[in-house]
Amino acid sequence: MGIQKDRIKFNVGGRIFETTATTLGNAGRDSFFGALFDDNWNLLRANNNQEFFIDRNPDCFAILLDLLRTSDLHIPSNVPERLLYREAAFYGLSDHVRSAKWGPFDGNRLSLCRSVTGRAPGDGTAIRAGPDGGCAVAHGSMVHVFDWMLEEHPPINLDYQRVNDIGWVNTDGIVISACERLGTADGGMGLFTSSTGELRYKFNVVHDNQVKSYAAGALSFSPDYKIFSSCKGRSNEYGVGVWDQVTGKQIDFFYESPGWSLGDADKLQWLDRRNCLLVATLFPRKDNCYISMLDFREKRMVWSWSDIEAPVTVDEKRVRDAIAMEESNSICVVNEYEDLGFIDLRMSGGSVRWSSRSRLNKGKMPDESCYPKLALHEGQLFSSMNDCISVFCGPDCVLTSRLRRSHGGSICDFSIGGDRLFALLSEENVFDIWETPPPPII
Amino acid sequence: MSAPKKKTIQIEAFRHRVVADPKYAEKTWNILEHAIHEIYNHNASGLSFEELYRNAYNMVLHKFGEKLYSGLVATMTFHLKEICSSIEAAQGGLFLEELNRKWADHNKALQMIRDILMYMDRTFIPSAHKTPVHELGLNLWRDVVIHSSKIQTRLLDTLLELIQGERSGEVINRGLMRNITKMLMDLGSSVYQDDFEKQFLESSADFYRLESQEFIESCDCGEYLKKAERRLNEEIERVSHYLDAKSEAKITNVVEKELIESHMQRLVHMENSGLVNMIVGDKYEDLGRMYSLFRRVASGLVLIRDVMTSYIRETGKQLVTDLERLKDPVDFVQRLLDIKDKYDKIIGSAFSNDKTFQNALNSSFEYFINLNSRSPEYISLFVDDKLRKGLKGVSEEDVEIILDKVMMLFRYLQEKDVFEKYYKQHLAKRLLSGKTVSDDAERSLIVKLKTECGYQFTSKLEGMFTDMKTSEDTMQGFYANVGADLGDGPTLSVQVLTTGSWPTQPINTCNLPTEILSICEKFRNYYLGTHTGRRLTWQTNMGTADLKATFGKGQKHELNVSTYQMCVLMLFNNTDRLTYREIEQAAEIPASDLKRCLQSLACVKGKNVLRKEPMSKDIADSDAFFFNDKFTSKFFKVKIGTVVAQRESEPENQETRQRVEEDRKPQIEAAIVRIMKARRVLDHNNIVTEVTKQLQSRFLPNPVVIKKRIESLIEREFLERDKGDRKLYRYLA
Repeated sequence: MGIQKDRIKFNVGGRIFETTATTLGNAGRDSFFGALFDDNWNLLRANNNQEFFIDRNPDCFAILLDLLRTSDLHIPSNVPERLLYREAAFYGLSDHVRSAKWGPFDGNRLSLCRSVTGRAPGDGTAIRAGPDGGCAVAHGSMVHVFDWMLEEHPPINLDYQRVNDIGWVNTDGIVISACERLGTADGGMGLFTSSTGELRYKFNVVHDNQVKSYAAGALSFSPDYKIFSSCKGRSNEYGVGVWDQVTGKQIDFFYESPGWSLGDADKLQWLDRRNCLLVATLFPRKDNCYISMLDFREKRMVWSWSDIEAPVTVDEKRVRDAIAMEESNSICVVNEYEDLGFIDLRMSGGSVRWSSRSRLNKGKMPDESCYPKLALHEGQLFSSMNDCISVFCGPDCVLTSRLRRSHGGSICDFSIGGDRLFALLSEENVFDIWETPPPPII
Repeated sequence: MSAPKKKTIQIEAFRHRVVADPKYAEKTWNILEHAIHEIYNHNASGLSFEELYRNAYNMVLHKFGEKLYSGLVATMTFHLKEICSSIEAAQGGLFLEELNRKWADHNKALQMIRDILMYMDRTFIPSAHKTPVHELGLNLWRDVVIHSSKIQTRLLDTLLELIQGERSGEVINRGLMRNITKMLMDLGSSVYQDDFEKQFLESSADFYRLESQEFIESCDCGEYLKKAERRLNEEIERVSHYLDAKSEAKITNVVEKELIESHMQRLVHMENSGLVNMIVGDKYEDLGRMYSLFRRVASGLVLIRDVMTSYIRETGKQLVTDLERLKDPVDFVQRLLDIKDKYDKIIGSAFSNDKTFQNALNSSFEYFINLNSRSPEYISLFVDDKLRKGLKGVSEEDVEIILDKVMMLFRYLQEKDVFEKYYKQHLAKRLLSGKTVSDDAERSLIVKLKTECGYQFTSKLEGMFTDMKTSEDTMQGFYANVGADLGDGPTLSVQVLTTGSWPTQPINTCNLPTEILSICEKFRNYYLGTHTGRRLTWQTNMGTADLKATFGKGQKHELNVSTYQMCVLMLFNNTDRLTYREIEQAAEIPASDLKRCLQSLACVKGKNVLRKEPMSKDIADSDAFFFNDKFTSKFFKVKIGTVVAQRESEPENQETRQRVEEDRKPQIEAAIVRIMKARRVLDHNNIVTEVTKQLQSRFLPNPVVIKKRIESLIEREFLERDKGDRKLYRYLA
C-alpha cells in the first residue's frame, strides 16, 4: 500500500479540515465541491499539501462535511438550523440537507418536528403540502407560503377575495381558487409563483364562446397536466371545469344536471386508474350529500351516490368527507362522530357500510368541533377529528396510530406531501409539521 | 450669560437598509471580469476559485445580481466577438479546425465561469427569470459566432462541400465533421436543422436527381439497383458517423425519392433487364434487392406485385390455353407445379415470404387454372398417373410432397365437384383393376381432401375402399362355402360395389358365356343367401378376365382381357369365323363398346388374336372376324388392353359436364332453402351472394342457374315472391 493520494486539506475560517476526494465527490457536480473536479472526477487545483482556504463558518462546514461523509445529518443544539441552511446554500448542498433531514413517509412512524405560528387570525381554511416539503396555508383571502426550511415567502393574495382551495402544480407554482366578490367580475382561479407571490396566469371560463366570471371551489390535478375545479357561474353555469396546465386553456366543462350538485363540490379527486373524477358535495354545504364519478371522455356520470332517499336513522349519520380508494374499489366516507363508512364503487346506488369502530369517542365531543377530513397516502388512510389524526392501515382499515398535539384547538385541515404531514389547527393560528425520522443507523 | 448658541439640529434620515457601497460592488465585479478575461486567455491557473466564488456570492447576496449578470453577458460577448474574427481570418481548410478549436475553448471557459458563478446560477437566475449561465453561453455563441454573416454561409458551404467530396470518393476528416455537427446540435435542434440539415437535404436531392438520371441512362436495372443500394447505405453510414440520428429518416427519404420512387416505373419495365427478365432468369439476388429497395417507398411493392401478377397471369393463360400442351395432362399439371415452385422460390428467397405476394400468386393461379374448364380432370389424371405408376421407388415423404402440391392446385379450383367426379372415376378404375401402387398414398390423399372440403366430399370415396375390403371377405366366404362344388370350372372374383358410391351407370348386361354364367349364378345365390333384400347387377363393362388359349403349332398363351373381350373370344371356341352381326347378336354388347373391343382384338399389332376381313383400322358392320391361327408373341402372358382414350373424348366430356350440372342443382336448392329458412325474407342479390359464399368450397355457381333454381323452388312452393316488392322472396314453412 502506498501513500493516499486523494487527500485534500481545507482551511475554513481558520480551522483545518482534511478529507478525501471521494467524500467531496458525494457533493455532486452541481456544487461548490463539484467545481474542484475535472470531467473525469480528478481533483483540480490540488497543490500538494497546500491547504484550500474557504472564508466560511467552520462549525457549519464540519456538519456539512459530516453529511457528505455519512449521508446523515446531525445538527448540534448550539448551531441554529437557519445558519446551517444558509451555509448549505452557499456550498450548493441544500438538496443534500433536505433529503437527510427526514426519512421516507410512514404514517406509523411520524413524530412532530415543529409547530409554526402564523400571524393571521385563526380562520384557516386549507393547508396543502408542496412537492418538496414546503406548504401553503390559506387564511381568508391570503395564502402564506413556506418552503421546506419553513421560511416564509411573500404571501399571495388574489385581490383579497376569499380563498376556497389551493394546490401545488409543481415546486414553484400554486393554483388558488377564490370566490367572486359581489359587484365585481373577478374571482376564479389563478396560477402564482410560490417563491415571489406573483400572479402568473388567470384561468378563464368560457360559456357559449363568451368569457364569464365565476367562483372556483375545490381543486384537483391529474398526472397528464389537467386542472379540475368546481365552478359556479353568474348565470347558473354550475359544474366542473377542466383546464390544461401547460397552455392554461379551458378544455372541457361538465355541466351540473338538475337535482344534482357539482358546482358546489367540497372535494374533487382524480382517479387515474379509472380515468374518472370523483366529485363530492357534502353536508352542511347542501342539505344532502352527493357523490359522483365523472367520465370526461364519455361526458357521462358513471357512478353516483346520494343520501336523499336514505332512511333517517336514530343517530343521524351525515357524510362529512369522502375519499375514493381505487385499490379496494370503494369510497371511504366519514361522519361527524368519526365513524368510517364504505360504499362499493363497482355498482351505483349502493348503501354505506358503516364500521362501528369509533363509538367510544361519543359523548366527549367538544363544543365547537371541526368537520372530519380524510386523506390517503400509499395505502394508509388518515382521518382528522378534533385535535388528533388517526392512521388506518391494511385492506380492512385497522387503526394503527394516533397523532395528537396537546393545544391549538381542533384540526381544521391537514395535507400530506413531500414526505411530510402538515396539520392546520383552528383556534390558534398554528400548523404542525410531522415527519418520519431518518432511518436507523443499522 | 451670552446668548445661547443657536443650535442647528439636522435630522438625518434613518437608514433602513444596509446597502453595500456600489464602489465596492464595482471592485468585486472588476475582479470577476478580470478572471473571465484570464479564463478566455488560457491563464486560469493563477486564479483562486474560492475567492471568485465568494465574490460572486457576495454580489448576489448584496443585491448586485443584476450587475453581475449583465456584466457577464457583456464580457462574454466581447470575447466571442474576438473569437469570431479569428475564425473568420482562418484560411481555407483551416476554417473548420479553427472553429472546432475555439468551440472547445469556449466550452471549457464556460464550464469554469459557471463554476465560479454557481451561486448566481442557483439563486438569482431562477428568481429573476434569466437564462442560466451554460445556456447563455451557448446562445451567445450561436448569435455572435455561428450567425455572424461571414461565418454562417461559409460554415454551411464548407460542410456541404465536404459531404459532396466524400460522395465522390474523397477521404474527409470525419472526426472534425462530427464535432462541428455536434456543436450545431448542442446549440439546439433548431440550429442544426435550420443552419445545416435543411440545405443538406436540398443539395442531396439535387445531387441524387442528377446522378439517378445518369445511372438510368447508362445502367441496366440490376446494376442501377446495386448502385442505389450502395448510395443508400452510404448515407445511412454517414448519419451514423457524423450526423444527428434523427437525420437518418430524412436523408434516406431523399435518396428513396430521387433514386427509387421517381424511376420506379422505368426500372420495373426496363427492357431486357426489368422485373420480368429477373423472374425469367431466376435472379434472386436482384429480385431481393429490388424488393428491399422498393419496400421503402409508398407504392413500390404494389408495383412489383402488379407486374409480377400480370406476368404470371399472362404466362399461365398461355399455358392453359396452349392446345399442344393439353394433349398430355400429366405434363400439363407438372408444368403448373413447376411454375408454382418457381414463384414460391422467388417469393421465399427474394421477397422475404411477403404475405401479400403469396396472396397475389395464389389469386393469379386461381385465375388462370380456372380459365381451362378441363383443369379438374387433368389434375385428377395427374394423380391417377402418379398413383398408377409414378410413385414406384419414391420415398413416403416424397409422396406426401407430391400429394401436397396437388392439393395446392386443387385449392385453386373453382369447380371442385368436377374434380370429385373425375377423381371418383379414376379411383374406381384404379381400385377395380388393382392398379393402385400404394394404398397408403391413396388414403393419405383422401384424408387431405377431407380436411380441405369436409366429410361429405370424401364419404363416397371412403365407401369405395370399404367395398373393396368387404368384397375380399365375401369372396373368401364364397369359396369356403361352395368351393368344393365348383370342380375345375373358371375361377370367379366378384367385387360387390354399393350403388351410389361408385360411378356406375345402369347397363344392359351382355350375354356371358355359359361357363361363366353358371358360376355367377352360384355366387348370386350365395350372396343373396347371406344378405337378404339386396339386388345384384353385373357391371360387365368393368371386369377383366384371364383366358388360356392355344394357337397354331400348339403355342399356348394366357390372355389378359376385359369381360367384353372374353365374351367375344369365347364365341370363337366353337367356330373360326364370325361376322360382326353374328357377334353383336350373340354377345349383346353395346355397339360402341363392341367396336372398341374388336378393334383392340384385331387391329393392334402384336396382339391381334383375331383376324379381320377386310383389313382396315375401323370396324364396319359388314366385317368378318377369324381366329388368328398364326398369332405369335414372345411373352407367355399377353395383355390385351382396350383401346381407351385416357383423356375423355369431347362427347364424354360433355356428358360428364352435364352430369355435374345435374348434381349441382340439388346442392344449389339445398343452399337456397337453408339460407331462406334462416332469413325468412331476402332479396335476389343477397340470395345469390349467400349461395355463392356457401358453395364456393365446392364450385362457383352460375347466377343464372341460381335464378332458375329459385324459380323452380317457387313453383314447388318452397318460396314465394313478396306481394309488394317483386325482388323479395319469402320462405314458405
